[in-house]
Amino acid sequence: MLMKPEDVLHAIAERRGEGIVVPTMTTAPAWRRIAPDDLSVTCVGFMGGASSLGLGIALARPDRRVLVLDGDGSLLMQLGSLATIAGAAPRNLVHFLFKNGVYHTSGAQGIPGGLSVDFATMARGAGYRLTAVIDDLADFTRRLPDLLRAEGPVFVELHTGLAEQTPMTVRERTPFHQQLHDARAKLLRPHPGAGATAHA
Amino acid sequence: MPESIPASLVIETLKDTFREARAALAAEVAEPAMHTHLGWILSVPDTHQKTVLAALDKEESIRVVTCATEDEAVCIAAGLHVGGEPVVLMIQHAGLYASVNTLRGVAMDGRVPVFYMIGLLNREKDKDPRESRHSMVRYCEPLLDTFGVPHARLEGPNDVHLIPEYYRLSRARRGPTAVLVGLETS
Repeated sequence: MLMKPEDVLHAIAERRGEGIVVPTMTTAPAWRRIAPDDLSVTCVGFMGGASSLGLGIALARPDRRVLVLDGDGSLLMQLGSLATIAGAAPRNLVHFLFKNGVYHTSGAQGIPGGLSVDFATMARGAGYRLTAVIDDLADFTRRLPDLLRAEGPVFVELHTGLAEQTPMTVRERTPFHQQLHDARAKLLRPHPGAGATAHA
Repeated sequence: MPESIPASLVIETLKDTFREARAALAAEVAEPAMHTHLGWILSVPDTHQKTVLAALDKEESIRVVTCATEDEAVCIAAGLHVGGEPVVLMIQHAGLYASVNTLRGVAMDGRVPVFYMIGLLNREKDKDPRESRHSMVRYCEPLLDTFGVPHARLEGPNDVHLIPEYYRLSRARRGPTAVLVGLETS
C-alpha cells in the first residue's frame, strides 16, 4: 500500500528540528496544517522551483538543515536542478521527492513516463551523496533520523498516494513575498534598535 | 563605442558592490556573517561575459554557482536572499526569455531584489539594440519594459558604475533590475 503523504509529512514534522522546510504543490496545504508555525517557504506559482529555492537557502545558511518537499511533476520542470545541486554540494540539503506519477494539482494528468521514472537513479547519477527509495511508512520512520543527519545533498524518493488537498482546493495561504519576508526576518535577527528589514 | 570592458574592472566593481551590501547587512543584523567570501555569482554561461566568468574561476572572494537554467538561478537567488547573502545573476538574453515565468513568479511577486547582468550576444555596435536585426537583441529591452524591470546599458568601462547603482536599486525597490552588457568583456 502506498504511503499517505500526510503521514510522511507528520513524520518529518516530528523530526525536523530546526530545519527550514520548502514544500511545493500538493505537499503545501498539508504542511501548513501540520506545521503552521514552522520556518518554511512554500513554492506555488512557479512550479519546479522548490529544489533551487532550497539550494539557495542551504548555501546561505550552512548551519541549518534545509528540507525540500518536492513533487515528481514539479521536479521534471527543473530536472537540471539535480545537477546544479550536486555541483554546489550543500551538505545540509535533504531533497524529499513525493512520487505519485501525476500532476495532482491540475487534475491528476499523468506525468511523462508516469511511475516508471527513476528519480533516485537520476539524483545518484547527478552526484547526490546519498539516495534512497522508500515505499513503506514504518521503514521511512525508522530511517528518517539517519537521513536527516547524513551529509548532503541527500535525495529520498518516496512512493506515495495522492494528498487529500491541493493548492487548488485550499486557496488561502500567506502570499509568497510575505513568506520570504517572514523567513528572512526569522533567520536574520536585527540589531536592537535597528530597522526590522535587512537589505543585503 | 569602446571595443570591450576589462574583466578585471567588472570583477573589482562586483567586489565593491558586495562589500557595500555586506556592510549594509552587518549594520542591521546582529548575527555574525556565515561566510568569508564577499558574495555569490549565479551564472548560466554567457558569451559576452565569458572572460569575467573565466576570471571568477580563480577568484576566491566570490563564489560562483553555475546553474543549468536561468529559472534555477532566480530561485537560488531568492533562497540566498532569505539567508541574507548578496548575489548577482550573470546570464544571456536568451536565458531571460527562457525564464520569464520565474522572473514574474519569484523576483516580482516574491519582491526579491534580483540583480541581473544580461549579455546581449549579437548586439551590433552601430545600431540601437531596439533596432537590431537579431530578435534576441531587439526584444530584450521591450520585454523588461513590459514587466516594469528597470534596466540600463553597460557598453564600456565608463559604465561600470551602473553595477552598484542597479544593485542598490533592486534592494530599494525589492524587485528585479538589470544591466545589459552590450559588448564583450576582455
